[in-house]
Amino acid sequence: MTTTTTTETLHIQLQPFFLSRKKYFQLLHLLFSVPATGELLVGIQNNGNLQELEEIHDGGKILRNFFEHMTAEQIDRENEEYQRLFIGPGPLVAPPWESYYRSREHLLFEEWTYQIREQYHLFGLQYKNENNEPDDHLLLELEFMIYLVDSCLQETKTDRLVELISSQIHFLENHLTMWIPYFCKRIIEQTNSQLYLGASMLLEDLLTFDLTTLLEVREALPDVR
Amino acid sequence: MSDKNTLKDLLSNKMQRRTFLKWSGAIGVPVIAGGIGTKMLVDHKEETKTAKAKDTEKIISTCSINNCGGRCVIKAHVKDGMVVRVSTDTQESGDLSTPPLRACVRGRNYRNMLYDPDRLKYPMKRVGKRGEGKFKRISWEEAIETIASEVKRIGDKYGPESRYVNYASGQSWGLHGGKNAARKLLSLTGGFLNYRNDYSSGAGNVATPYTYGTNNTGSSFDSLLHSKYIILWGQNPSEMIFSTPYREYLMQAKKNGAKIIVIDPRYTDTAIAFADEWIPILPTTDNALMDAMGYVIVKEKLHDQAFLDKYCIGFDGDHMPVGVAKSESLKSYLLGEKDGIEKTPEWAERICGVPAGKIQEIAREYAKSKPAALIQGWAAQRQAYGEQFMRGGAQLACLTGNVGKLGGWAAGTGYWSRSDIVYPFSYENPVKASIPCFLWTKAVEKGTEMTEADGLEGTDKLTTNIKLIFNMAGNMLINQHADINKTTKLLEDDSKVEFIVVSDIFMTPSARYADILLPGTTFFERYDIGVPWCFGDYVVFGDKTIDPLFECRDEYDVFAEVADKLGLKEKFTEGKTTLDLVKESVERTRKELTPDFPSFEEFRRNGVHHFKYDSPLIGFKEQIDDLKKHPFETPSCKIELFSKALWDMNQQDEIPAIAKYISSWEGPQDPIINKFPLQLISWHYKRRCHSTYDNQAWLEEAAKQEMWMNPKDAEKRGIKSGDRVQVYNERGSIYIDVKVTPRITPGVAGIPQGAWFTPDKDGLDQRGSVNVLTSQRPTALAKSNPQLTNLVEVKKA
Ligand code: SF4
Repeated sequence: MTTTTTTETLHIQLQPFFLSRKKYFQLLHLLFSVPATGELLVGIQNNGNLQELEEIHDGGKILRNFFEHMTAEQIDRENEEYQRLFIGPGPLVAPPWESYYRSREHLLFEEWTYQIREQYHLFGLQYKNENNEPDDHLLLELEFMIYLVDSCLQETKTDRLVELISSQIHFLENHLTMWIPYFCKRIIEQTNSQLYLGASMLLEDLLTFDLTTLLEVREALPDVR
Repeated sequence: MSDKNTLKDLLSNKMQRRTFLKWSGAIGVPVIAGGIGTKMLVDHKEETKTAKAKDTEKIISTCSINNCGGRCVIKAHVKDGMVVRVSTDTQESGDLSTPPLRACVRGRNYRNMLYDPDRLKYPMKRVGKRGEGKFKRISWEEAIETIASEVKRIGDKYGPESRYVNYASGQSWGLHGGKNAARKLLSLTGGFLNYRNDYSSGAGNVATPYTYGTNNTGSSFDSLLHSKYIILWGQNPSEMIFSTPYREYLMQAKKNGAKIIVIDPRYTDTAIAFADEWIPILPTTDNALMDAMGYVIVKEKLHDQAFLDKYCIGFDGDHMPVGVAKSESLKSYLLGEKDGIEKTPEWAERICGVPAGKIQEIAREYAKSKPAALIQGWAAQRQAYGEQFMRGGAQLACLTGNVGKLGGWAAGTGYWSRSDIVYPFSYENPVKASIPCFLWTKAVEKGTEMTEADGLEGTDKLTTNIKLIFNMAGNMLINQHADINKTTKLLEDDSKVEFIVVSDIFMTPSARYADILLPGTTFFERYDIGVPWCFGDYVVFGDKTIDPLFECRDEYDVFAEVADKLGLKEKFTEGKTTLDLVKESVERTRKELTPDFPSFEEFRRNGVHHFKYDSPLIGFKEQIDDLKKHPFETPSCKIELFSKALWDMNQQDEIPAIAKYISSWEGPQDPIINKFPLQLISWHYKRRCHSTYDNQAWLEEAAKQEMWMNPKDAEKRGIKSGDRVQVYNERGSIYIDVKVTPRITPGVAGIPQGAWFTPDKDGLDQRGSVNVLTSQRPTALAKSNPQLTNLVEVKKA
């Protein structure tokens, strides 16, 4: 077999994997976006394939249950809860920024914010509100993961693919999985919302799961080269 | 194992993984991907300029303009648009004409404050009941729109006197600030109800001019280097930064041999650092001690008769205003010639608790050690008869002839100022009506019933109660005003005040009462010039070190937009940004006041400007040197120990013409002491500036919120250090931990003021917010705040 064919095979072989990952990162992103008018939640309700999620994950079970009984008032309440957890005013239940969890003094704009910014820059990206809001917000880190997965989907060269996978491993290992468990713990302990309870449980597990899978995939990759 | 198989195994064999992949394969995410349609990560624009400078750290000098009396140099170390570290003035001490302006402990927390995740970040509108704390995020557009329409609606419906900008000091010693921006907008749209005076030295500000004709009774601090004897009466510059370099001068004065006495119910950090002697005293009884000191001085003929004869009205029967009996003189009062009570040290001891022998001793020392400086803090005038305290100190300074002399001190309010800059941002309020700032709750409740007797000025009668309040970077709306329970009840009724706008950087107790809540900026995020309280020959450049975070906005810009909505933008800004204001101030200061003031660029580079003088400023030196040419600004052109103006008010019991001890309500002689046996005072805590920074964890570690109590009082109640107690009186009840310490006078409890009112579900404060227990009853003359006049009981929680 020539290298090209192997690469092509590999690329094709990994397509469903990357596609799946893209989707669950997108789902997580949606779950933690402002619910606003509810369009977004109704979207998840209709397209989230929650029955199956229920079978494989406890958080999924909670989410399924939530979406099954979701009402208009509920959406209002979730908006309120979202604001209480992540927006304010006043002390936040779970500040959605990495540096809050990692700095000794629990501040924003600490060195981790800077590291995240560097990562974005490295990939030719930049947060729209750079310097106004910290770069290490949950939704930005998820968006960055989606970007990396997208890049994988488009990448046909094996060495580049390996690099991209390594970048994701690095990002998960050194960032997302370092703080998300603490972030989720705070939500799980302090929310009565089934939506955010389920979403947090799912977020935490999916990230760990994703990291383990990627590590194993990378292990396997040199074999195919 | 073939290559293919390895991957295949990996992706499909493990049960959980397979289902996960299958599941996510089935999600119809593209359909709902609209949710992330708005990409927040965009193409990185490499700015070639900054790309090179990337890793270099820039040091930008700026200045906090909170309401501490200091103003110090804050250096922001900025890298890539982020403040990575904060440092302060590195200048050596030694040259007292350019003292280093170093940050105090609060300054070490400034970066934590800036990047606190609890910062207010977006405009909000109230959605629950007022005060309940429920808000919804809104756009700036909606916030501005709402403010503009309410300003107009309420103005049209009730008239301009219905609109009020509340006393606020979170952002107070700069060129613009929220308060001024709001006032300018209201001025341009018909005006607003004015207030006068402040919560700091309110009684003094009104009382001292009756004696001296002015509040500018102080001397520059370098004059203290010539003092032989210094009394700090209720002044605590170690914990409350009165002026950043003040302590340097005090230390130098001490080195020069001055004896320093601190009179205070608490053994303060100032007493520890500077005092040769601490004289504990019961709150509200200072004038008994002053009277007795006066008695000793007069009785032993230690007074300066020549000075009194030449410069003062009312010392003895021969120097009374026309038409007033000789027996009304100060001397007659002290010797008890009319009321039959000699104001002896023994008499005073029974009231104030200072031993008679000690009174005699300090009276003699003060009278004999010339020059001597009796410097009054303002804590002791924040009491029911605080006016007496301020005039009483001045009385002693005159008895000993320490006025107008190098190393002496005239006492009284004690302002001094000789260095100024131009303030280009101004407004002219078409409404002339004004109330004493402390009576704003009264003006909400029954403004239309207020009269001259309530301190209403500029009009005989108000046409309306207050209906709209702008509360900009201030906590006086709830926390710092007296009697919190009364205030919250008043504001909860939104048919009274119909619209409240709060701008702040954190969710303070006052912010909870907003209808529209705006995220303000810290000093790191805006341009300004910081000036000290009037005590200091320096100004500090307030550079903008980073852009405002999140959607935070400087109030100047907010009100410029509101003005825009009302078609008044040009009038509001006059085409200027805040940076333009700073530049204009610098240019005009050079042109109009101080030709050697640095240029904008120079000032910015240096971060600070020290005004230099050849000799100290001595309060009233001109008058003492040549009274004819420089009369005092009083009706008689002399120092009025006896004020005819006060005499004519004809309320001798509460507003006497000479300073006197008046037994205070809720003082140690008030019969209700049987029910509430402890006097409660508060003090400015070293970890807060008033209530600013109360939510800052690092500072709480530096100094915890706790109540001080003497071992004798604690033992009686079975209380130990660290116990949690309930402190209560008829106005309310709070919970707080106790520190049992002999550093506070028996019979007195002390709570650091400014802790944020933190009610539990039953409305009981859990943080030790002292104003739950304080009274809204104003002082007699100034209608000022008596917040250190309280009786309480304490029990173990
Ligand atoms: S409280 Fe005053 S002296 Fe202390 S750091 Fe702040 S501005 Fe400087």
